[in-house]
Order: sequence, then structure tokens, then C-alpha cells
Amino acid sequence: MHDIALEVSHVTKNFRLHSEKTNSLKQLVAARGRNRFAEFTALDDVSFTVHEGEVFGVIGQNGSGKSTLLKCMAGILQPNLGWVKVHKRMSALLELGAGFHPELSGRDNIFLNAAILGMGRREIAARFDEIVEFSGLESFIDAPVKTYSSGMYVRLAFAVAINVDPRLLIVDEILAVGDVTFQQRCLEKFVEFRNDGRTIVLVTHDLGSVKNMCDRAIWLTHGKITGEGDPSDLVEAYTEMMLGNRNRDVDGRVRRGSGELQITSVELFIDDNPDAVKRFRTSDSIRLRLNYHAARPVPKPVFGFEIESLGGATVTAPCTRDVGLIPEMVSGDGHIDIEMDSVSLLPGTYDVHTTVTDFNRQHEYDNVHLALRFDVMSGKPYETGALVTMRPRWTIN
Amino acid sequence: MTFAGATACSRSAVDGNYTDAFMSLRSAMAHRNLLYLLSLKELRTRYKKSILGWAWSLLNPLSQMLIFTIIFKYVFRQNAIPGDPSGLRNFPLYFLAGLLPFNFFAITTSVSMGAVQGGAGLIKKVQFPHEHLVFSVVIAQFVTLMIELSILTIALLLSGSMVLPWLPLMIAVMCMLALFTTGVALVLAAANVFYHDVNYLWTIVSQLLFYATPIIYFPQAISLRPLVLLANYGPTGSFITASHNIMYDNRIPGFGRLGELAVLGFGSFFIGVWIFNGLSPKFAEEM
Repeated sequence: MHDIALEVSHVTKNFRLHSEKTNSLKQLVAARGRNRFAEFTALDDVSFTVHEGEVFGVIGQNGSGKSTLLKCMAGILQPNLGWVKVHKRMSALLELGAGFHPELSGRDNIFLNAAILGMGRREIAARFDEIVEFSGLESFIDAPVKTYSSGMYVRLAFAVAINVDPRLLIVDEILAVGDVTFQQRCLEKFVEFRNDGRTIVLVTHDLGSVKNMCDRAIWLTHGKITGEGDPSDLVEAYTEMMLGNRNRDVDGRVRRGSGELQITSVELFIDDNPDAVKRFRTSDSIRLRLNYHAARPVPKPVFGFEIESLGGATVTAPCTRDVGLIPEMVSGDGHIDIEMDSVSLLPGTYDVHTTVTDFNRQHEYDNVHLALRFDVMSGKPYETGALVTMRPRWTIN
Repeated sequence: MTFAGATACSRSAVDGNYTDAFMSLRSAMAHRNLLYLLSLKELRTRYKKSILGWAWSLLNPLSQMLIFTIIFKYVFRQNAIPGDPSGLRNFPLYFLAGLLPFNFFAITTSVSMGAVQGGAGLIKKVQFPHEHLVFSVVIAQFVTLMIELSILTIALLLSGSMVLPWLPLMIAVMCMLALFTTGVALVLAAANVFYHDVNYLWTIVSQLLFYATPIIYFPQAISLRPLVLLANYGPTGSFITASHNIMYDNRIPGFGRLGELAVLGFGSFFIGVWIFNGLSPKFAEEM
């Protein structure tokens, strides 16, 4: 069994509702004797354990208590009941650059910020060069931070935070900072962290990163744990629940949109075969047919579809606007055919989602989640381990 | 299982309130690097974007000295009482010997409230010993006080008063004042998080204290008995009188007085730390 990195035991956290807060003596006196505040339970008896070396995800909607849990783990908020124990050196990245002082230079801010995050002076001095290098701000390091662009600011802050050398890193939605190059670097750093056997707790809306990075996850709803376990299952269930808040049509499909123009069904054919199928082989030529019904004439609609793997990866997502196919007006019933020659999909199960929007892709007429599910069986070429084949030709010299 | 780092174990609120002051001081010591850097920040950023910079910390008391000297001499037509046994008869120097320590007390307490309030962004996002926000203000202000006192020393020497042998005692008394001020600042800063009135109320109180402390007058001039007691034995009065004794009169304040200062200093400090630590776990929520 791995060592325990973090224990959260029966944590309950109540808040006084903000409007009732008394911040002046007058309010306090005026409110005396009356019921002074309503309580709101942000976390309700939450317990879980994170083991060393795990990447642990926390998902949930806004207001589900994610942030409160995060702050309790980071020791910023004290739970009303229960306790949190952190067994490893922890660094909690709730906000980058908290405590940066605009008038001080980047150099001074590195020292100050690292000290706030709990590092000693010698430790900071030893890592200083690494921090500067990671930030890529060598030539600006002696300029006051107020002259930095927001991107530079974030890079410096992240460079400090990541170099605190924690055994346990608690991260809040900050994977998406900086430009693409820097994001890539952050991601690499996280992977490096994970491969080092360090523990990461990831609190996020980004289901993709939970699915890709986490070993285990919990799902919070209204301050309670509603699910715990494999991230893929959890994300699936979570997505289902979220979409379940929208409409379901008679076939049980999840759909939304204004409804003037709807995709009534999606059919799949192989070659010119007139019978609809639910499966084909790699390299088959297929045809997808989107049947639509327009309740009233709709000008310039854009039809689109998306093929997604069961694992949640989007394989392709084309739309008619991409190819300049824009009908002036559609009305009544009709269908759109999409032909795809020798499809590169590898064996597995895939889902088709469809959308119909206006020309600017602003207004959604219809959006069907899981319009069709099909299987790809092994054909030629046969590969494992990925979603598509590049039809490689191997030569060994 | 290894327990590493100062943030190893976060306390639960149920049994964690009012942990003893010594434990918190130990955690503060573990973060002394932070304290050092925060104090440095306080000093470095204070006079950024001003042309005169550090000169302002001297110009302020000097201008006050000028104003009160004129009022004392030409409006109230008072004469300075000579220092005993120094024989020094100089109102501006008497005034500075009282004003500088008092300003340290008044400014530190008021800036501390702002420092904790201004640290909201940090308090809500990072776990760190909150008392360092106050400690760093005290340290930065103490550095300023020492610079100001060295100017006063030069002025005293120029007016023929051999004050140098008295400086070690003065510094010891100022350290007690710093402890006393820290305690008061901690309580005020913590209370101010919950009720912002504290800040406004304290502005009035410190103004009252200024006049209840023998700074712009000689204690011998007071006729009302309770005011005499306040001026001589009130907390600020006690420190200021000791400062006058040492710097202006050149005599040891008396062992009773020194004892009182030590009790005030340490007592205030430990009570302050205790109260602050009881309240600080709730800061993040209140801000």
C-alpha cells in the first residue's frame, strides 16, 4: 500500500450568507437578539484519502463546494467539523502570483513569493536560476513586475509555484494559463511531476484533463461526494447528468436548441449498400446520412457532426460551412449525405453528435448528443493503441 | 510516513482555536525568511515613486516639531523646563524625544490594520502565518524609528548634551515599546478584520492619546490629578516619560518604571499573539 499523502475526514464547512454579514459595530448592535445569519452548508461530511503518487481529480459544477474543499485542503479555511491532514510538503496553487508586489522587481518577487509559499532563503537561492529559466524572463528579471504583461506575470508566478518542489501539489484550474507554448511547458512539468511519483490533486471544470491525467477522482454535488473512482466512468456519469438537465427527446436522446430545424435521425451506410448499418471495418468507405425536418423555412443553416471515441476524444468535427456548402434556405424534410472514403478509424466504439446552427454559429437550432453509436471492427490496416491509422508503410533497412 | 515542511498539519477549527502563543511563535520562526522579506518589501516600497523618498520619514516629524515649537513658544508663551540633571533647556528636542516613540506606536498600529486588510488577497489564497503581516510592519517602522532617533542623537550632541552613554538603555526601552506596540497592533488588526469601525475608532483614540501623553507639554504643567496619573503611568505616558528621562534628562527612569515597561511590553505582546492566533483562522472567511 502506498503512503497516504492527504487525508480528508468528515469535513463539514458552513458559511454565513454574505448579505447577513456584519462588518460594523452598528450592524452588530442592530442585529442583536435576532437570528443574525442564515447558514449555508458548502461541504457536508466529505471524506477521502489521496495516496502518494496519485493524480487525484475533483470535479463538480459551480457551487458544488470544489473551491471550499480546495481551501480546506490548503489550510486557508478551517472546517467546522472534521479534519484535514497533509502528510507531505504541500504547495497549493489557488491563484498565481498571490502576493506579488507590483513595485518590486521580478527578482525580489521570486524571493518574496517563494517565501510565502514556505521556502527558506537558501532553498530559494539554490533554485533561483531554474525558476528564472522556466519563466523565460531572464532579460526582464530586474524590472518591476508592474511593467510585465499579464502573460509574463503569470509565467513568473507559475515558475515560482512549480519550483517550490512540493511532494503534494494542489491545483485549481490553472492549467490553462499563458500562451500555447507555455501551456505545453506546464503540462510537461505536470507529467514530470507525476512520473516522479509526486501527488497531484486537480480541482477543475476541464473534464478532458481529469480523464487524461487522473488516476482517481471524486465528484461533488452540493457539497457531498456523489461518486468516487475511475475518472472515465465518473466523467461519463457527470456529463450524462449535466446533459440530463437539458431536454431528452422521445428516443431518449439528449437534445437542445430552438428546434425550428431538427436532425430527426442519423443513418450509416457502407458503400452504396441501401441498408443502414451500425458497424463497419477499418478502411471501409461509408456514408453518413443526416435526416432533417424544418418546421418552417430556415435560411443558411450550418450542419455539423462530431465523431467522438468512447474515451471522450474528438476524432473529427466537420461542418458544412467549412466546405462552403451553404443552402440559401431549407424547408420541410430532407437529408444530407456525407461520404467518407476508406475511413481511418481503428477498432472501437464511437458516438456521433450532430448540430444545426445559423450561419454565424451563434444560434443553435438543434444539437443532438449521441445521435448514433457505431462500432468499428478490425480491418486493414490493423493497429492497436490509438483511434486512427496513418496507414504506415514500414521499411526496415 | 514522513512529516515535512512547516505546513505539515493544518489544524481543525474544533480543537485548534487559541493554541498557545509559543507554538505559534515557533511557526513564525520557521517562516523567518518570509518575515525578513516582508519587512524588506515594507521598507522598499514605502517611498517608491516619491522624489524625496526616505527624507519624508524625517520631514514629517521635523515639520511637526516646527509647528508645535512655534505654538508652544509664541502662542502659549511657555518656557521649556530644563532637563534634570542634564540642564538642557530646549523645547524642540524635548518634543522630538517624545514624538518619535509616540509616532512609532501610532503609525505602526494604524498601518498594521491596513496591512492585514490589504493582505486579503494573500490570506484568501495562501496558507502562511498571518501575524507576519503585522510583524513586518513593526520591524519596518522600528528601522525608521532607529534612523529618526539617530538624527535626534546628532541634534542632542550638537546642542552640547552628551547623550551617547544613554543610548543602550534607550534602545532597550524602545524594544519594550516595540513589543507593546506589536501586541496592540495584533489585537487591532485582528479586530479590524471583523469590524472595520476599529480602524476609525482608533484614529480618534490615538489622537486622544497624543494629547494625554506628555509630548507637547511638560508633565509638571498639568494641574488636574487624573491627567497627571495618565500622563505619568498610562501605557504610552510611561514609555514617553522614560524616553524623556533618558534622552532629555539623562537619568535612569527608576526601576519601578523599567519594570512597568517590561510588564507592559511582554504582557501586551503575548496577549496580542494569543488573541490574534485565536482569530486568524477565521480571517479568510471574513474578508
